[in-house]
Amino acid sequence: MAESMKSYHNSLKEALDDSFLRKTLDKFAVQYKANRAMIFADMNAKELISEIADNKDQAMLHIEALYQQFVEQASKKGVHVHRARTAQEANDIICAIAKENNVRTIIKSKSMTAEEIHLNHSLEAAKMIVNETDLGEWIIQLRHEGPTHMVMPAIHLSRYQVADTFEDATKSKQDSDIEKLVKVARRELRVHFAGSDMGISGANFAIASNGSIGICTNEGNGRLTTTLPRVHVAICGIDKLVPSIKDALRIIRVLPRNATAQAITTYVSWITGASECTLNDDQKKIIHVVFLDNGRIDLLKDPKCREVLRCVRCGACANVCPVYRLVGGHRMGYVYIGAIGLILTYFFHGHDRAKNLVQNCIGCEACKDICAAGIDLPGIIQEVRARLNEEEGSPITSTLLAKVMANRPLFHTLLKFGKFAQRPVTSGNFVRHLPTIFAGDQSFRALPAIASRSFRDRWPSLETASQGSVKIGLFAGCAQDFIYPEQLESAVRLISAKGGAVDFPLQQSCCGLPLQMMGERKAAIQTAKANVDAFESAKVDHIMTLCASCANHMKEHYTELTGDDPSYKEKTAQYLSKIIDFSSLMKNVFKFSKDDFNNQGQKVAYHSPCHLCRGLGVTQEPRALINMAGEYVPTPEEDVCCGFGGTYSVKFPEISGTLLAHKLDGIEESEAKPKLLVTDCPGCVMQLRGGEHKRSDRVKVQHISEFLDLNLKKK
Amino acid sequence: MPGNPGSINQANVDLFKAKAKPASIEVVVVKDLKAALDYAIEVTEKTELGKLMPTTPGLSPPDDPNRKKTLAAPSISDEHFKLLSQKGEAKGFEMVRSKLRNHLAGIDVAFTVADLGISETATCVSENNSEDYRLATMICETHVLALPMNKLVKTSYEAEDFLIKAMDKDNNYTSFISGPSRTADIERVLTLGVHGPLYMHVALLEE
Ligand code: SF4
Ligand code: SF4
Repeated sequence: MAESMKSYHNSLKEALDDSFLRKTLDKFAVQYKANRAMIFADMNAKELISEIADNKDQAMLHIEALYQQFVEQASKKGVHVHRARTAQEANDIICAIAKENNVRTIIKSKSMTAEEIHLNHSLEAAKMIVNETDLGEWIIQLRHEGPTHMVMPAIHLSRYQVADTFEDATKSKQDSDIEKLVKVARRELRVHFAGSDMGISGANFAIASNGSIGICTNEGNGRLTTTLPRVHVAICGIDKLVPSIKDALRIIRVLPRNATAQAITTYVSWITGASECTLNDDQKKIIHVVFLDNGRIDLLKDPKCREVLRCVRCGACANVCPVYRLVGGHRMGYVYIGAIGLILTYFFHGHDRAKNLVQNCIGCEACKDICAAGIDLPGIIQEVRARLNEEEGSPITSTLLAKVMANRPLFHTLLKFGKFAQRPVTSGNFVRHLPTIFAGDQSFRALPAIASRSFRDRWPSLETASQGSVKIGLFAGCAQDFIYPEQLESAVRLISAKGGAVDFPLQQSCCGLPLQMMGERKAAIQTAKANVDAFESAKVDHIMTLCASCANHMKEHYTELTGDDPSYKEKTAQYLSKIIDFSSLMKNVFKFSKDDFNNQGQKVAYHSPCHLCRGLGVTQEPRALINMAGEYVPTPEEDVCCGFGGTYSVKFPEISGTLLAHKLDGIEESEAKPKLLVTDCPGCVMQLRGGEHKRSDRVKVQHISEFLDLNLKKK
Repeated sequence: MPGNPGSINQANVDLFKAKAKPASIEVVVVKDLKAALDYAIEVTEKTELGKLMPTTPGLSPPDDPNRKKTLAAPSISDEHFKLLSQKGEAKGFEMVRSKLRNHLAGIDVAFTVADLGISETATCVSENNSEDYRLATMICETHVLALPMNKLVKTSYEAEDFLIKAMDKDNNYTSFISGPSRTADIERVLTLGVHGPLYMHVALLEE
């Protein structure tokens, strides 16, 4: 059943009000990042991750051959191998194995694949008694809940809730001391281990070259599940096939490090053939391996999305997701959780279940940056949105916006018109009352007014050199052109101060990111081509943006977006090679130094825009520039999203507002108590300044171009 | 090279020791396997008598204060088991070598020998196709592993040859063990001994 957007918002609200959940996930998010950095300190994580990505891609290309090889090897060694096309088929196969072996009681070690097919329901319907043995899984099984994290399924529960649950299960009073609770589980579950006929496990990998499977656990329940009962069934997605032991070892190197910042899980079990089992007459385990397709093979043929099959289920994409951190797993996935959950829900559990979920990504790229398999998660989330739009038709507002934005003159006329329309409602530089077309509650921030004169109107009267040592083309982006033209003017002054020439091709349009985010593909293609064309004749050395989101979107997507027309290949490549962000240009090309500025030692906080630090990988330059004209003071979690995310903040004001509050609280409460916050993205400026305006402007917010310009020594 | 007797790589030994700490593994260095047996006896002597658990629904744990401590060593040679038994029995331990299924309520200490060690992660690698080996090392409260120093490799990649050989066999169960059984499933608080051992000791053998 499709959940309505309204009830989804209600459940988000509920999660935001759950103070235990908020505190737990906040703490986790901060600790995880620090611990992960430590555990990867002596190795090259990026390199390892790209090896995983390449190897998984290769394996996927040869999946049928790997499967054949696995079947051959494993069968030879006495393993029964099955392949299930659908969830139903997998359930049927496993129920049949249970019946055939007179199984009544089953223990399970953790398997996401078993969750994916709702295996427990099927087994219980067939009158089997099923007990989960992973502590977290057991707790949520007792509570009849779904997991809220792929690695820590019960992360949303407090010790008191667990104690209550155990009280119900054991019919005796339980202490809320965690160590004691763990002992209760040990005792209760040992009984189940000892008395079960069949053990069901997942598999972290299946090795084709020798027909072996591998299981990683910390608790050791995997080792017991595969040792004690007379029958063992392992279920895994067909994407878990790898060619060799080396591939498996590589996964083990990254999986626990990325999942829980551990060097390795306590146990790794490598199972080949039918190992010894004294309960069976032949002293051998009855062992079955079930490979699940459930849409995976179709996904393989889907060039835009197939890289999700690289996923090793480390759960890290949830760990770093600012939205997950606020609302938890029940609102950020279905069976699979976090960024990968939004995507897999669409592919495995139906479009209805996915349709609200996939809207709830702010596009901050934190997941992509951390993914153990180098998957472009936000890119695929956008692709899924586009497909949902195509299937169901876009929402009316999105279609309208797409039409308008694809037509530059119309769009710009409307923006200019907007400036008149807003007049009666503006106060200072902010909009006083918002037009009602904005969905939801925007009261968490003030929204900026459209500037009385856009940058394109000011441009002809600006004093700039058309000849110089370097020629810079300005890519304005909508926000700076129409809302914050002064930020561009500052940049122009800085360039001119160093003798650079400037050009501003007027045919340029919106970069197209909002369209991409809304899944409006056609319009995104039109704007991409318009921009490439606009800069083609302007002979510039660099194309500078003050907006990291524009730059990142163009770099990430223009090649693909203009790819349908071969005549764009060369010019798009040219265009992209020239793009540079403001801070890199100032620091690395114009070589600004301390001598260029009056430095009053003003304390300055920095917000690191998602698309600059993760998208473009620029982290040092802006901080170095700040130190030239002031004193950069570190504040907490500088690289966590401010909650803007373009249209996201309109769609999910409750989350956007909470992220903003967290950001501003962090700065206001930081030790240095800076009174100025600098960032280098107009979207972030809009969000942060709007939020501070509501707080009576306790902290001033500036674009880094304004900050530098203000402190520039006059010659 | 793994298994090349006589060649001890001190860097690997040091790395193993360093990585054992965060993995909650207690490391000692002893002369040889015989000394490791003595160490197992010593550990058993020092451990508190483990609490047994019910293994059949409805049965409460045998609550016998005079119960003997159990020390299981399912996979060592006859000669070594004999040696161990003599010492263990002298201390009043119940010595177990097989049929660990009859002890699912728990044993106090298990002693086994690892085939290979991976220093980078303080991992003990052992082929344990024997059901008794696997059970002993899961149902014990303390696991003591002997690991010859000359079988230490630095990274898991160097264990590849060993694994290829092991998994080439028709029936094989190989385990990596890198500490006591652990969980952080309740409020992310690290807790040891959820299903398996609460304590793990590694006796590194000089020869
Ligand atoms: S892009 Fe950011 S908001 Fe979206 S899923 Fe990834 S981490 Fe979460
Ligand atoms: S998508 Fe990447 S980060 Fe997320 S669970 Fe899979 S491998 Fe881990």
